[in-house]
Amino acid sequence: MLFNTPKFFAFLATVLILFYAAPRSWRKAILLAASYFFYMSWIPKFILLLLTLTGIDYTAARWIAQTRSPRSRKTALIISLSANLGLLGFFKYYNFFAANLAHLFDKPSSSFALNIILPLGISFHTFQSMSYVIDVYRGEQEPVINLIDYALFISFFPQLVAGPIVRAREFFGDLYNWRPPLSDEVLRGLLLLVLGLTKKMVLADQFAQVANSYFKDVTTHPGMLTAWSGTIAFGIQIYFDFSGYTDMAIGMAQLLGFHFPINFRRPYLASSITDFWRRWHISLSRWLRDYLYIPLGGNRHGRLLTYRNLMLTMLLGGLWHGASWNFVVWGGYHGALLSVERMLGFKRQTGEDRWTALYPLQVILTFALAMIGWVFFRAATFHDSLYVLQQMFTGAAGTSVIPPWEIYLALITLLLAVLEEKKDWFERVALGPAWAYGAVCALLLLCVELIGFTGAAVPFVYFQF
Amino acid sequence: MSLLSEEEKALRGPAATSARRVFPRIVATVFFFAAFEGLFFHTSLYPSILEPDSTTGGMELELRDEIQRVKRDRNQVVAVGDSRMALLPRIANEMNTGYTFATVSLGGVPPRCWYYELRAIDPSAHEYSAILIPSGDYDEPDEYDKLGERELDLHYILARLELKDLFDFPWTYQSNRLKWVTFRGILLKGFVYKRDFEDFLLHSLDRFAKVRLYNETWAGSEYGYHGPADSLKGLRIDWQNKKVYYPDNITKAQRAFIEGTLFRQHPPDTGVQTAYYRYWYHRILNRYKGSRTKLIFLPEPRAPVPPPPHPPKLTSAVRQMASEPNAIVLDAHLFDSLERPDLFIDALHLNGPGTEEFSRILATEVRRVLGPPKP
Repeated sequence: MLFNTPKFFAFLATVLILFYAAPRSWRKAILLAASYFFYMSWIPKFILLLLTLTGIDYTAARWIAQTRSPRSRKTALIISLSANLGLLGFFKYYNFFAANLAHLFDKPSSSFALNIILPLGISFHTFQSMSYVIDVYRGEQEPVINLIDYALFISFFPQLVAGPIVRAREFFGDLYNWRPPLSDEVLRGLLLLVLGLTKKMVLADQFAQVANSYFKDVTTHPGMLTAWSGTIAFGIQIYFDFSGYTDMAIGMAQLLGFHFPINFRRPYLASSITDFWRRWHISLSRWLRDYLYIPLGGNRHGRLLTYRNLMLTMLLGGLWHGASWNFVVWGGYHGALLSVERMLGFKRQTGEDRWTALYPLQVILTFALAMIGWVFFRAATFHDSLYVLQQMFTGAAGTSVIPPWEIYLALITLLLAVLEEKKDWFERVALGPAWAYGAVCALLLLCVELIGFTGAAVPFVYFQF
Repeated sequence: MSLLSEEEKALRGPAATSARRVFPRIVATVFFFAAFEGLFFHTSLYPSILEPDSTTGGMELELRDEIQRVKRDRNQVVAVGDSRMALLPRIANEMNTGYTFATVSLGGVPPRCWYYELRAIDPSAHEYSAILIPSGDYDEPDEYDKLGERELDLHYILARLELKDLFDFPWTYQSNRLKWVTFRGILLKGFVYKRDFEDFLLHSLDRFAKVRLYNETWAGSEYGYHGPADSLKGLRIDWQNKKVYYPDNITKAQRAFIEGTLFRQHPPDTGVQTAYYRYWYHRILNRYKGSRTKLIFLPEPRAPVPPPPHPPKLTSAVRQMASEPNAIVLDAHLFDSLERPDLFIDALHLNGPGTEEFSRILATEVRRVLGPPKP
């Protein structure tokens, strides 16, 4: 059940009606039932996996909190982490390692392969579970007593399949102090839903047609401009796809009285790669920082170890995105850029200070660097990545694969992003007069109707992670 | 009735103003959306600038042309149909039968659309002396591609569908998917105009120029149309062995089309196609019940070479129309004399001389069955 389908909107409407019509004591159970229904609408049997992990992590956290023995606490933590990483590793990485093993022994790549289907959202809910158990272990989070509360934290349908990765204290803060959303929150939530749908169907799915066509067989589309435009099409697709999904998730949560952290802040207006990672998939960056980078030592043990920690974090972050060497290279590329920026002493500019003459040049350079990274992310093979990069820098002129009207569309969104950065138009609209709110929502819905892609519903890119 | 408990109401701060802030904004959204959708797509505004060479745009040109045509007397005859309706109004009118012939036929348009075309050009159901309705060889065999389940029909007739058709039109489809797609298409026409609209945004000035050109020249050029001069002269068919002997000038693609059409297999006849025709013929018939307008059902030349005889399907919808008071069913063999290779351009369509001859025969026959024109 994809967010961009009428079926999902019917589901959401039903959940909202049931949720608000039911007595308060029933509401958690309604949300949990709805979340499990949503999860099972894909492959029902995987609910067993979700239930198993929920049971293990719930028990492990209770055990950690109840026992005083450091050894027992550590054992519980290790059991929980092993279960999460073990299942994630099996479902997501088994075939990757099997293929590499086969390569090592000079056998056909499918020699040890299994027919494994990746369960929906496993990368996200395992990270969320692990953060909870680690927080309990660190004493930063009280263990949850009610199993339904914990099960809801893991399976809450707006963010179950692709985040944002919510911290336990944020979620339970909302759950235990639940109050009906204020009218401003309802208005923000509805506007986010419409905005997210627009980003997905009008921008992401349209640019996806171009990117898919280019990356399907890159060697048939030689040329410098061709390679850059095909890659930029993917860069636009993945941003609007993922941020559209996140907007919808945050909007739905707001309608249900929950507050998710922001996940994107116009990353293509970043002035450096360091800034980019503070704007792109923020909840993952935060998770990697708190549960990987800082435990590795962060920047506390000298320059070299800081660079090592950055590289390790980004390499694993890359691998988290998918079981392929291309993702590892993508992560390593970003780790290297972050290290270089740290080495050169790049400072993140904030507020109005950054609107200098240099800022547009920094944005263009950062955008170009991010696009180079996307080549590894999107290309089907490492060989394809190298071909695209070769074309980007040494190819013949070529032609743009992005149709003119999509270029206009991209320019309009750039203008809107700059306006949001400087003038915060979203809040102004959300809290502005009724006519302005209505006009903007109507305009967005008309864009979905008139420009949105209406072939078979296109799955969100991050659903595969 | 509020869904909130007293406790919840108490929890709300002063900024929480419940539905009084949310409701006007939702109403404003619906209002602006409906205003734009209604103004542009549910009036003649956007249909007037549709790409003339699109399905909807081509249909609109046909219908607008017929609506605007000056009708000097009550003896008007109009033909519906698809590309096989070979009536050339100019030739038929030159026969001086006393009736004025016109056509709104368009390639690929099936009976479902004919009903809505007639509703558009003849809102009072009194405008015409007769409606000419083509009906193939009167046998209505089932096809693998079900005529009743074509989404394309929505595209042809979209500009003429109204909100009152919101349930009626979709429920003429069997498939739930098509019911939903057509329901959504009628309610939110922008979904169907999408590709045309994107093209319009990109080439607005070119579009205006093209529409103006078509509006100025369409009626004249269509009326003066002569049909293609090429023919299949020299073609022979061995129906028994399914073999075609071609003249030299026939290309490979033409051969493939001819053989694919003439020897195509039909599924076992379950009456699905007949039920479809019966439904739409009756809807057209009911529309003209009590009117002076006659429905004239006519056969179409079947092939460039007469196919082997087969027993007629007596239960076909068109044959059953013969018993209806307002309907006239012409002789199934009326155009047998036109089944000659030199009068066909391909396996289905008459060429220029063929259409001219067809128009003459039809005009004469219409005059005969309708009798003398009314003063």
